[in-house]
Amino acid sequence: MSVVGWLVRCGVGAAIVLVACGFATMRFDRGLQMPATTTRDGTLITLSRYLREPVPDIVLVGSSITFRLKEEYFATPGLRNLALAGGSPVTGLEIVANQPRLPGLILVEANVLSRPIDIALVERYARGDAEPLFFRPIRAAVAAYEQRQHAPLTHEQVSLDLRRLVRQPPSDFDSRIYADRALQQFNAEDPSDSVRLNVKRMEELIRVVEQRGARVLLFELPFSDPIESSQYARTTREIVHAAFPDSKRWLPVEANRSELRWADGVHLDERSAVVVTQALEGALASVRATR
Amino acid sequence: MTFTSWQFGVFAATVFAAYYQPALRAFQVQLLVFASLFFYGYGQPELLALLAVAVFGTYLFLILALRDRKVWLPVGVIFNLALLAFFKYKLLFIDPASPSLVDFAPLDFLLKLPLPIGISFFVFHNISLLVDLTRQKATPPTLAEVFLYIIFFPQLVSGPITRAEMFMPQIKPKYLADIPFVDAAKWTLLGFFFKLYVANNLNEMTSYMSFPLYETLQTQDRWLLVFLYSYQIYADFFGYSAIAIGLGLLFGYRLPINFDLPYISTSFSEFWTRWHISLSAWLRTYLYIPLGGNRHGVWRTYLNLMIVMGLGGLWHGAGLGYLMWGLLHGLLLVLERPLLSLMNSIDLAVFRAVRMTVVFVCVTMLWIFFKLPNFDHAVGYLTGMFTPSTNPNPAKLFYSLALLYALPVGIQHLGFHRLLEGRFRLAEPYLYGAMAALMFLEAGPETSFIYFQF
Repeated sequence: MSVVGWLVRCGVGAAIVLVACGFATMRFDRGLQMPATTTRDGTLITLSRYLREPVPDIVLVGSSITFRLKEEYFATPGLRNLALAGGSPVTGLEIVANQPRLPGLILVEANVLSRPIDIALVERYARGDAEPLFFRPIRAAVAAYEQRQHAPLTHEQVSLDLRRLVRQPPSDFDSRIYADRALQQFNAEDPSDSVRLNVKRMEELIRVVEQRGARVLLFELPFSDPIESSQYARTTREIVHAAFPDSKRWLPVEANRSELRWADGVHLDERSAVVVTQALEGALASVRATR
Repeated sequence: MTFTSWQFGVFAATVFAAYYQPALRAFQVQLLVFASLFFYGYGQPELLALLAVAVFGTYLFLILALRDRKVWLPVGVIFNLALLAFFKYKLLFIDPASPSLVDFAPLDFLLKLPLPIGISFFVFHNISLLVDLTRQKATPPTLAEVFLYIIFFPQLVSGPITRAEMFMPQIKPKYLADIPFVDAAKWTLLGFFFKLYVANNLNEMTSYMSFPLYETLQTQDRWLLVFLYSYQIYADFFGYSAIAIGLGLLFGYRLPINFDLPYISTSFSEFWTRWHISLSAWLRTYLYIPLGGNRHGVWRTYLNLMIVMGLGGLWHGAGLGYLMWGLLHGLLLVLERPLLSLMNSIDLAVFRAVRMTVVFVCVTMLWIFFKLPNFDHAVGYLTGMFTPSTNPNPAKLFYSLALLYALPVGIQHLGFHRLLEGRFRLAEPYLYGAMAALMFLEAGPETSFIYFQF
């Protein structure tokens, strides 16, 4: 085989794969949910789905703290949890605010407000083109397989299990090692500057979305007692409450603290997440009824 | 400038286009030297001066050693080792973050310089140049030729470590008609595929091996990640070496093959003839044999093996973890040595498979010291592999993705390339084309080559 012949065949091989993937992109369009990375797929799939499907009535934005409140825990219909594990609530709020249509109610977590806004993620979803130009065969195949294996659950499918879970006593898992380490981290730095910056951006975004007809409520999920009194939590609480002093701006989430456990010191374990979800839904129902 | 950046693509294409212009044929060496300096200085221009000192110093000692080898060869070698020691091991003794390290400003400036990329590689080139040419009593090469041998850009940053006696004779006018284009394309495409598709994607998962992230892993995932890292480091370094070989061919130079399916080795000594071959060959030629090799009895041989492997470990970095990695490899070589002839006499496929598995598992476990150079972190990770995990919110890994990204390494080691050399020869170019498309579509997030840090 001549050199030119080899190189031409090589080019043809590449072209065949690219054309096939191009056609697949046109055929499936946004039906493909492809994890861009191997570990953050949950977030990206949720955000892609948010853009693709009709706008829900209620949206939660938050950090990994809120991420634990899975959508299937909520009995409230038309609710979507866009919390970003490892991300900032302001990133989620910015993404929601950038969309042409807004949900009726946006719930913003106010626990973790020191993380910078993920500009790349915001820009990616601001363009609306959440999917890449070409079908990526391996990731798409894995995403399809994973979805088949772990299809999103509905509240009806899990409600029995949730009731059973809540009836059980709280976990006796010894999380002291994790809690001590978490407390150390929560006392390590003064987050004032970054929290102020993010809260200022939150104020701007809230003003914009409320002008467009959406309602925004802030909420705080319970931390364990030592974490609640850490420098990070205290500073964040002071700044955000100073910026939003009106109690009507807040959704009070009041769960029985003795029922709650934080498996890694910071994040609620599964049973506690269900308990807190129910408390949040209760508060939500009374706010909506008042309205 | 890394091989996987678009800037490098533009750079390589420009140099290639100019290189074969008939008008520039007389200046090909100078052009490559200039291009290599540009390549090296692109990211760290302040370190060009250090490179110049290393090359000029080596050239000076070479000229002197060609007149009096006994005196000047050791001086030249010490000069290079001192450079390596100063930049690589100074961090054992100083904290570069402190505002002033010594009261002497120029020394303070030198101490605060970052580790020059590729210093471990070009220092070994320098030593090889001094030893080989003075042993051959060769006529002194020109300064431009010495520069080219030491800083030829495809091999400058991470090898392969080329022996002077192999490279220097290749310096002569090059013609476009002599380029083995198909071989160059195959090496380059294979290298990019292994880096972009395999290594970069696996890196997404193995980033969970870092401290303290690994504490979120389940026990079985710790095991999985160690094996994935084993595949990743191979794909990463093999990828780099393959690209370097492909680029070398485009400019008329054959660089040594650095990997030969290391994970099918049936003994640790065989592993070191298949993994990072150019480093093993260098250590054997310039360290193990001068130390006496296996010529002075069993115990001295064992001691030599431990010294060579220990120093080989430290060559990668100044840390207890790297030393431990090298010494443990040395220990494995020592332990298997008396049993080798007996094991080799058993010609059973099952036994070979068992040996292969044992070698692969041991080599893989020792990569933990590479991934986690902090010794305490490495021990913490290892301990977690043998204790049940207690974290109720473990990180999630996609096993199917792990398998699909690691698959090319497995396929390569199973010897499927022999099919392409035989019955399926006609399919070969299409397969390489498909690999090119796949590495474009499925490239993992950009990460630097693992061996850049050395």
